[in-house]
Amino acid sequence: MDAFNMGLVAAMGALATVAGASEDIDSDIGSQSNPNSQVQLAAQVGNPHRIYNKAIAGEPPSNALWCTTAAIMAYVMITAYGMPLIFAAAAGAALAALFDGVFSVSAYIGRSASQARFNQWIYLDILRYTTPSIMAHVWITSFCIVTVSIIQVYLLTPHHPFPIPIIALIWGLTVGAIGSSVGDIHYGGEREFQWRLFGQGLNTMLSGQIVRKAEAGLRNSIDNAWFCAKFGGPATGMGFGLTVFLDNWRTAVFDPVTQSFAAIATGIFFVIVMILYNFYCELSARRKYGPYPGYKGDVAA
Amino acid sequence: MNVGPETIVYILEIVVGGLLVGIGVHFVPVGGAPAAMAQATGIGTGTVQLAAGCGLTGLLAAGLMMSVTDNLWPILATGAVGAMIMIDATMLTGSWIYAYAVGAPFASAKVNYDPITGFSQPPYVAPGTVGQGIPTVCFVSGTIGALMGGVGGAMIYYPLMLINGNPAMSAIFAIGIFFVNAVLASWNIQGTIEGFHDPKFKKWPTAFRSCLAASFILAIVAVLIIPIATSGGV
Amino acid sequence: MTVGGGATSAPAKFEPQKLRIYGIVGSLVGIYLAVVLNQATGTTVFSFIAAIGALFGVVMGANAVRRVCSYGIGTGVPSIGMLALGMGIVAALFGLNLGAQFGMDWLGPIIALIYSLIFGYVVGLIANRVMGFNIPVMEEGLTDLSGAGTLAIIAWSVAISGSLSYSSIVADVLNTGFIAIIFICGGLAILHPFNANLGPDEKQDRTLVNGVMVGGVAIVATGVCALLTQGMILGLLQIVVGFVIWYYFFVWYFRLAKRDAAAVVGTGLLPPSAL
Repeated sequence: MDAFNMGLVAAMGALATVAGASEDIDSDIGSQSNPNSQVQLAAQVGNPHRIYNKAIAGEPPSNALWCTTAAIMAYVMITAYGMPLIFAAAAGAALAALFDGVFSVSAYIGRSASQARFNQWIYLDILRYTTPSIMAHVWITSFCIVTVSIIQVYLLTPHHPFPIPIIALIWGLTVGAIGSSVGDIHYGGEREFQWRLFGQGLNTMLSGQIVRKAEAGLRNSIDNAWFCAKFGGPATGMGFGLTVFLDNWRTAVFDPVTQSFAAIATGIFFVIVMILYNFYCELSARRKYGPYPGYKGDVAA
Repeated sequence: MNVGPETIVYILEIVVGGLLVGIGVHFVPVGGAPAAMAQATGIGTGTVQLAAGCGLTGLLAAGLMMSVTDNLWPILATGAVGAMIMIDATMLTGSWIYAYAVGAPFASAKVNYDPITGFSQPPYVAPGTVGQGIPTVCFVSGTIGALMGGVGGAMIYYPLMLINGNPAMSAIFAIGIFFVNAVLASWNIQGTIEGFHDPKFKKWPTAFRSCLAASFILAIVAVLIIPIATSGGV
Repeated sequence: MTVGGGATSAPAKFEPQKLRIYGIVGSLVGIYLAVVLNQATGTTVFSFIAAIGALFGVVMGANAVRRVCSYGIGTGVPSIGMLALGMGIVAALFGLNLGAQFGMDWLGPIIALIYSLIFGYVVGLIANRVMGFNIPVMEEGLTDLSGAGTLAIIAWSVAISGSLSYSSIVADVLNTGFIAIIFICGGLAILHPFNANLGPDEKQDRTLVNGVMVGGVAIVATGVCALLTQGMILGLLQIVVGFVIWYYFFVWYFRLAKRDAAAVVGTGLLPPSAL
């Protein structure tokens, strides 16, 4: 263990946290992935809306695409033109943001056009002001992930044997998986349906009845980012940051050749701690909220 | 290409790795899109994507380990641990949102009592939903699934690396085999499952047969790829 | 992952048989034309032809996704695209390697294609017979998908490396990690068109035009890779070709979306019926 490696692992954890948070906010602005099913359903049950419908293949493949795009650009810039690492990552992220813009626009107009019979219009002003803020978040995500990949390949010892684009592909899939598992709940469970009873999931009867109106006027997708940045985004960042940090911390502290047993045991220790923490969450939620009042059966534990 | 006893071992390793991925998917508690609306128990995302996310994180860790050692066991173990850390971090932060943002107690509608903690479930299932959150049994099941996925990914990567000695090629090849098995397994469970206590889990023999056939066809091909002296290029 | 109402009948203007022939022949012609012209001139100028050839395979794959997924397979559209590319990557590497082992690099794409078609058919059989999907077009669709994934991977690999020889593809495409972008870009080119147009009023021509558009984006990506492997001029050439394809088909796609949409408005409130 040396201080330089530890510093790098800490930086990777911090970058991953930022990446996770911006990934989730990007998907919330676009209503990507799981909450998209409700946005899609809304028009079909008679609620046309002015919410962005960015249906790009679920979050993991799409984020894998942005991160890989940024990674190839960065790799080309570093290898062929000797660009400094951080500028190369920035150049790559810029290309990734452009790609994202293309895919987002095509998904929005495609999905809306396919709902013509439900009177879902295509609003060009939504495209103009929402797409740039999606692209900006994608820029942050892919910049952070490419920087993490670059650190793993060029700086951290032992150097990772995979090339940068493959590492970025895997981290992109992972950040997408975490973003759609964690942050989407905050958007789909809370923000999309704010007038249902608090303290329970969405009743199936209410499917598609999303909130379409705001404090003043109609709700737009930027409002969703404002809401989800308070909890969903940071929690996603925490999830991805923990993954990157804990996974690399154990091989940074313990030498993977001579102390591989300790590195693995540390990992198992983290796993057990997380299982216990989840048990604590379950226990406290059950104790504080109690059973649902409508239940008629036996409440005994 | 020379077929010897080690070739058969390689084939077996790849097939077992593929089977572990396929069965591991059945353990991962995935609720699909409804889970993101706290309408169903489990993690709110697609099976394939979550399995890929955790299994490939394990593959990253295993690849790093393989670059410094040739011993199979630490490679498999570190792959498993990497995958478990990823899925546990995901489920834990997801639990925060269920508990502190949606404000719902965790419950499963598939069983009356949690097989691990013994908590009763039906009173805590919100009306109009089929459970919400990630109860302990799902959490443990997901950890087991990630363990199998991580071991499976590493188990596919290890023989490939011994055959062709090229980390980049072995990694992308392992990703390919991983996806085929994960998709077949997720078709078998129709996209959602709660873990080993779910009645759907009994369908695993079907996935076992399917993944066995698919992995075998892939493994035969994988061992035929031999390194050829590279020249030219960059 | 994304749930929506796909039309079960999926009316089609272009017959799948015709698209399959165009896809396979177009991609193979693109690959071989690029390789032959490159060898004849001793340069890598014509690599972009292979990249264009891949678009035919992509269209065939997008059409197969459209046919299979309109039945609803329970896991959404993305999984099937990843399956296609997972099968494709194995088949492509195997074919190219076996071709090199025989000393006949040009045989690689054919071996890969045959293997992938067989494997796709077997996976389709597994899905229908073992898992009991009972989707009539499953075998056919997965055969197409697997072939499309393989062709896209090989064609874009050739576009990056400029030759079909296994050793140069390993050096230029695999060791650099550029295979990752081919993998994911190819996957999205095949799955994104149907996913982005999912809905009851989905039209085949709009979906396929979107496929070519995404293929254009992928050519921009291979052009960026070619900046490293073939130098700045040829890389930029490929980027420009990709951009032109993307722009042309994006305008076309937007026109089709305008044709199909209920209304395209600059701004405004909800439709009067829904306020």
